[in-house]
Amino acid sequence: MPRLTKCLSVAAIMLAAVTGAASAQQDFPNKPIQLMVAYPAGGSSDVAARIVASIAEKAVGQPIVIVNRGGAGGQIGWTELVRQRPDGYYIGVINLPATNTVILDPERKAIFTEKDFTPIINQVLDPGTIWVRADSPYKTVQDLIDAAKKSPGTIRTATTGILSDDHLAILMTEEAAPGAKFRLVHLDGGATQFKEIMAGNVDVAFDNVGSIFKRVQSGEVRALAVMDDTRSKFLPDVPTMKELGFPTVISSSTRGIAGPKGMPAPLVTKLRDVLKKAMEDPEHVKKLEEQGLAIKIMVGDEYDKYFAETHAKAKKYTEWAKNRPPM
Amino acid sequence: MDTLAHLMAGLTAALSFQNLAFAFVGCMLGTLIGVLPGLGPAAGTAILIPLTFNLDPTGALIMLAAIYYGAMYGGTVTSVLINVPGEAASVITCIDGHEMAKQGRGGTALGIAAIGSFVGGMVATIALIIVAPPLAQIALKFGPPEFFALMLVGLCLITGLGGGSVLAGLIMAILGLLIAMVGIDPVRGAPRFTLGIPSLYDGVGFIPVVMGLFGVAEILLGIQQPRRQIIKADLASLLPSRAEWRRSVGAIGRGTGIGFFLGLIPGVGSIIPTFVAYVFEKRLSKTPERFGHGAIEGVAAPESANNAYANAAMIPLLTLGIPSSPTIAVLMGAFIVNGLTPGPFLFQERPDLVWAVIASFFLGNILLLVLNLPFVGLWARILHLPYPYVCAGTLVFCLIGAYSLEQNVFHIGVMIVCGIIGYGMRRIDMPIAPLVLGLILGPFLEKSLRTSLEMSAGDFSIFLTRPLCLTLLVLAAIVLVASALRLQPRELQEASTS
Repeated sequence: MPRLTKCLSVAAIMLAAVTGAASAQQDFPNKPIQLMVAYPAGGSSDVAARIVASIAEKAVGQPIVIVNRGGAGGQIGWTELVRQRPDGYYIGVINLPATNTVILDPERKAIFTEKDFTPIINQVLDPGTIWVRADSPYKTVQDLIDAAKKSPGTIRTATTGILSDDHLAILMTEEAAPGAKFRLVHLDGGATQFKEIMAGNVDVAFDNVGSIFKRVQSGEVRALAVMDDTRSKFLPDVPTMKELGFPTVISSSTRGIAGPKGMPAPLVTKLRDVLKKAMEDPEHVKKLEEQGLAIKIMVGDEYDKYFAETHAKAKKYTEWAKNRPPM
Repeated sequence: MDTLAHLMAGLTAALSFQNLAFAFVGCMLGTLIGVLPGLGPAAGTAILIPLTFNLDPTGALIMLAAIYYGAMYGGTVTSVLINVPGEAASVITCIDGHEMAKQGRGGTALGIAAIGSFVGGMVATIALIIVAPPLAQIALKFGPPEFFALMLVGLCLITGLGGGSVLAGLIMAILGLLIAMVGIDPVRGAPRFTLGIPSLYDGVGFIPVVMGLFGVAEILLGIQQPRRQIIKADLASLLPSRAEWRRSVGAIGRGTGIGFFLGLIPGVGSIIPTFVAYVFEKRLSKTPERFGHGAIEGVAAPESANNAYANAAMIPLLTLGIPSSPTIAVLMGAFIVNGLTPGPFLFQERPDLVWAVIASFFLGNILLLVLNLPFVGLWARILHLPYPYVCAGTLVFCLIGAYSLEQNVFHIGVMIVCGIIGYGMRRIDMPIAPLVLGLILGPFLEKSLRTSLEMSAGDFSIFLTRPLCLTLLVLAAIVLVASALRLQPRELQEASTS
């Protein structure tokens, strides 16, 4: 009865597979976990991920290996993340709103949507800031906006890339100050911004607190405002846009951890608890603060809601950015 | 003294056991590549990049730089012993070096070459330390328009000085730029020319392309070359006699100077400095008739020039982000793979890394002297390896390397296709260097062009109203026109037509 034997053995294999899967969830993790970062090694997303991984892996009992998949503004890495099996062994850092704008930009033809992720926990919320060279004629945000109204489209304003949170923040500022228009110069990051600002090739830069706070403290550059509800602990003397009368100009770049969609709830809970504990660890707090990165832990509904709100906001400004004539 | 403090920190880092080991392995591998005929420094560095994927960036770059100058060093052995240059920069060494070997002075020829290379490398590195930081400071003042113009000058120099017809050079440079266009648009983020293949989203990988163009192509070319007679050199007397010393000291000094200054000019390539040094020495000599019959100056000068050039050529790379030769372009690719963009920034952002790499040049040169002088007999023995084994081994290494880049079979295909294309182009005498330079500079060229136009709201006059930018553009035009009209110094012409 060869057919029967075959049939039985197939069944046995299937059974083994099913029970194997079930037990795999129970004793998760029983092999190293990969944590994908969609940017090259050495960047601030990478640094923050490595810090939390090194602390969390002690509690997890398995190594958490950082996998850098940089390129195409994060698209390469996130494409890889959504393609993984949702078994918890491959998770990745998502950077809102960069992840959102990759999805929202039709030119990108991203193969994933916001629904392809299982958000687990947010780690960092790094608010946006507007900054100029120390000897710039723009002493306040009002100076800058007045100038942008007086001669629209002449102030060379640096982003950290097209459809970056900084790009969106410039559009928010234009929206909040009707008549003000900036000339957008898309640079590829904080270091390039600093160089071009110091060399006088751009007039003002939009970036995040973490990338520039040390240079503000040293007096090389001046921060005009922080785009948040509350003042940044790294730049306590810099007013928020809200204080200055622009309550809608709230912008930041976040780093959180997510898995591919369809991750079972027990896995999410387990990972979230371990990661949360690691993020509350004094060592994590200290190391992130050295980088000027403000920790903002969000989990569960709060994080889901933040994701959805950021997506809606990014959608509005992405469409605007696409239709805005370049200046 | 800021530089000195940085250098000391760099030396400390380079002297760590790990980095010292990387420099040592790099020197060994480099010398091996140099010794193996047909496999030049560009091919060797390209093939060996995958070896460094799992290292930290500092270690990886120390090792690759060591491979690079190690290969420049190692090429001499074959020039002297079998009259076949291990790499192009040792062509001229064949003339007197092989003649010396036939006269039984092969050991001395190899000895003086090692000493000359050592002096050239050390002096050029010291000069690099003095010149590079201020140059990087100046370069920081360059805006996107100036960088655009500067890269254009670099490309024109490569195209013009590369030898052969300027038209062929231009075609290849533009081909390189076109290949560089494939992938995600650096400003708008939209995929271009990707044919819907996700593997092309990050562009046609530079590393598999150069592994193909140099590595695979050189293996294919090597298969066709006839085997040469190996001279058994008398390696007992490595050190020159007093009379030979007297002749060599000046030659080493002049060769070092020539190599260093030509190394500052992108596009000169590694062959021209050796030629200029040789011709210069011959003209200066009271007994020029000895040249071609085993004159020791004919080995000392070009070998010093060769290594001074190799180290000096790091200056435009580290300070401006302009690679001056295909090998340096491959090295630049290695920086980029490691997430670092060579250029004035690097001195500010990663002084630890830059200075550790620079400091490793000193150690590398010392290691090479040690490796070359006593062990020269060992290297000579490698020449006896049957070529089929060497070529099969190298090919397997290339295949594994291309795959390990991103665990992607697609890159193997890219490498093989580029290998065949590279072979074909060599056969019809199309220069590869402009293509490689176009390919690596393409994204930077495009980015700076588009950023400039964003700064001016689309007005092209931004390139004409900034004095430095205009000067550089005029210079680029002059270079191109002059090379089209063959208005080159005589030495350069002799070198490029040989």
